[in-house]
Amino acid sequence: MRFALLLGFWILGYGPVVAGEISLAASPSELFQDGTTAFRANDYVSAIKAYRQSAAIQPASGTLQDLGLAEWHRGHAGAAVLCWEQSLWLEPFNVSARGNLRYARKVAQLEAPELTWYEVVSTWLPANSWAWIAGISFWVAVAMVMLPAIFRQPKAAWHQALAALGLTIFLLSIPAHIGVHTRSRIGFVQQKDTPLRLTPTHEAQFVTRLSAGEPARLERQRGNFLLIRTNRSAGWVERDQFALVCRIQSPPT
Amino acid sequence: MVKAPSSNFQTPGKHQSPRSQGFPKVPFGNWNLGLLWGLELGIWCFFYGLLIPTAQAQSTPVPPQQDPLMSLMLSQPKIEITTNVTAVASFDPPIVSPGEQTIYRVTFNALEETVDWPGRLSVPPELQTEPGAHGQIIPMLGPAQVPFTTFNTRVRASASGDFTIPEFKVQAYGSQVTVPAAQLKVVSTPPKPPSPVLHLALEFAETNLFVGQPIRARASLPGSAGVFSQGLPPVQFTGQGVLVDQAAASQMVTVTSHEGMNMPTYMFQTIVTPIEGGKLSVFAQCFTGNRFSGSLVITGPAMIPAPPPPFTLLESDPVTLHVRPLPKEGELPGFTGGIGSFSLEPPKLATNELIVGEPVKLAVAIRGDANVARLVAPVPPRIREWQILESTPAGGITQLTPTGTISIFQYTLVPLTDDVHETPAIPFSSFDPTRSNYVDLTIPSVQVTVHAGQIPGDFATLVKTNASARDEDEPVLSGLAPDPGWTGALLPLQTSPWFPVVQLIPASAFLGLWSWDRRRRYFEQHPDVLLRRRARRALHRERRALCRAARDKDAARFAGAAVSAMRVACAPHYPAEPRALVGSDILHVLGASGDAEVVRRFFTVRDASQFAAASADTSSLLTLQPELEKVLKQLESRL
Repeated sequence: MRFALLLGFWILGYGPVVAGEISLAASPSELFQDGTTAFRANDYVSAIKAYRQSAAIQPASGTLQDLGLAEWHRGHAGAAVLCWEQSLWLEPFNVSARGNLRYARKVAQLEAPELTWYEVVSTWLPANSWAWIAGISFWVAVAMVMLPAIFRQPKAAWHQALAALGLTIFLLSIPAHIGVHTRSRIGFVQQKDTPLRLTPTHEAQFVTRLSAGEPARLERQRGNFLLIRTNRSAGWVERDQFALVCRIQSPPT
Repeated sequence: MVKAPSSNFQTPGKHQSPRSQGFPKVPFGNWNLGLLWGLELGIWCFFYGLLIPTAQAQSTPVPPQQDPLMSLMLSQPKIEITTNVTAVASFDPPIVSPGEQTIYRVTFNALEETVDWPGRLSVPPELQTEPGAHGQIIPMLGPAQVPFTTFNTRVRASASGDFTIPEFKVQAYGSQVTVPAAQLKVVSTPPKPPSPVLHLALEFAETNLFVGQPIRARASLPGSAGVFSQGLPPVQFTGQGVLVDQAAASQMVTVTSHEGMNMPTYMFQTIVTPIEGGKLSVFAQCFTGNRFSGSLVITGPAMIPAPPPPFTLLESDPVTLHVRPLPKEGELPGFTGGIGSFSLEPPKLATNELIVGEPVKLAVAIRGDANVARLVAPVPPRIREWQILESTPAGGITQLTPTGTISIFQYTLVPLTDDVHETPAIPFSSFDPTRSNYVDLTIPSVQVTVHAGQIPGDFATLVKTNASARDEDEPVLSGLAPDPGWTGALLPLQTSPWFPVVQLIPASAFLGLWSWDRRRRYFEQHPDVLLRRRARRALHRERRALCRAARDKDAARFAGAAVSAMRVACAPHYPAEPRALVGSDILHVLGASGDAEVVRRFFTVRDASQFAAASADTSSLLTLQPELEKVLKQLESRL
């Protein structure tokens, strides 16, 4: 019965209209162009909306870079820093996003996150490429060990070299893999003068106030509060005042 | 006798009353009313006791030194906030024609911050209201400063008639203040007012602007020689998204013709810069002081009490500015926000004969309209051969010349090598609003001769600093990305549920290959196992054919299937090709426990059907199916 009703709506033309709207709204490249047009007209609110929708559908380095620019022009330093960090997460070779972060941190007197050596290694390539590199190199090494014997091929030198290379790459990628995992806990303060609380309550004493764009690491969560650790102190902030770099914000409703 | 006004205040020492006995009694004389009527430029209060240098005070012991800050605070006149707050409401003008604007003006003798003015007024439906100007002044009235706060509302009537805005209550100083009712008369032909109505007019040189384009604005007030000023600019420009240059303000009084009458007109002009795009509404507002028309003659001693608050908050009609953002396309290097019509004069170098390491001044004059004073010098390029210090001050030195205004940028250049023959060009550009495009004003190179000379002691440091400064470029915001660029997921892959599943695919494949290889090697080492397994499969196949033939009552096919089944079941025991076995081979495998008769019978019938000329009788074989099944089970059990 339900299927028949849906089919009836589709035949009457409602379905194609809905499908058309969805396809129009769901095109990240069109939304990107809309955002660029609005940005050039200095309509940053519309630009942010379009870029954010595009990034929600398909996160892309250029989209996040432009979204950061629009947020910066709107005076939202925290959101801008987050967008540029996300852009670098996807494409570490994005010189523009890196330069924008330098500019923002210089202008807003913000610090960059302090990274360990394995986290620095993980920034050399796109974050998700390390997982593929580890997986592929491991299975190549396994294949070079197993397949000649299975297919009764004489063990050649290149089999062993390839196996050794695969195993080496796999072992070398493990620190980067760990770095990606720990970097995924890094986030940025989103609101200006965010209070860092001693306890996860609204009545808690303020340890200090954090600037928008200040980096911190998420330690744990409790209710609507997050325990974060900055370069100098630790405390609780409200959930909507902090955003992780590896989790994109939902588009505005 | 005219006493000069003074703000000096004698602070009481110990328990001395301010009205000390040392004050001489001065008879009341003729007062110069000009002091009281000088409200247009502020009221000077003649405070009696302040002007008398007391000789007696000198004879008394010197009081202890007071804190200067405390003395300053005590010397400030008191602001009167204790008196009862009253409100005065009126329409200006009180008689208008339909559609004509009038100002509903309410004035309180209270500080503006304390008045809780309602956002919406209760007015008759024929009246359209719009919030207007609001402001406060704190003039000196008597010994204290009295605050006056005015709220204007622009009112237009859509029909003729008498309209009243009823009285209402407003909070001020935490208590209720009654705003009296005000009446407006709307007639088709309003009478001409007895005295010219003061009307503040606002004019802009241009209303189609670009963001950041300075524009001259002029407010004029015919019929007045001045407005009330209290430290702030006498005329204020109110509107969102505009910046008013207080330093560029100027005011004057000229005689202009207004409705056929020559009258003094107060003019105030300044520079307004829009800082937002879109339609910006700006209006001017000012307080006028007391004013008299006609002459006033007073003979003999007289005292005139202070009149009710005479200060009127005037406002102009709002002017809409259409502001466009500067185009991004065509922007040239070295643009520092300069908007206007400018021209560059040839740069002047202090000397063309330079020595390595010795600084030299480069002066560049920019000529243009009044906006040239707001030009910011371009940042010089960083190159290895020169060290260039930025122009100081950044805005240049503005000079007024008979031919116009010029701004001079002064750079300090230090040659770091004698291989250079000209100064570097410094990119610079401006935006011309009349042509709506960017104009290249790059400061050109100047031919120089650089001598090696004596290298200064800190030359190496200079070169090193220059090189490092070049390496650490000043970060700037990038432009827009032309395309979305690299795509990917922001969540780490290892946390995605499908990533481990994907890793299971090669793991399963390798596990399967390994198992297959192990099995293959096992069968290679134990071929009999493979033969028996194949024989069992073939036996099951033949038994199914046997059953089908029995069901179809096809005795010949039944006999063939039975023989084949017995052969495949016995073949692994020799091993041999199943078709090569004969009945005795089957009986040998069966041994003594088997039903030899059934085996012989089937082989006999089968051989006869294949090799004899006459066809054998196979019809009775179907009845032997239970015995045959028993034989086959025995054979299968031995596989």
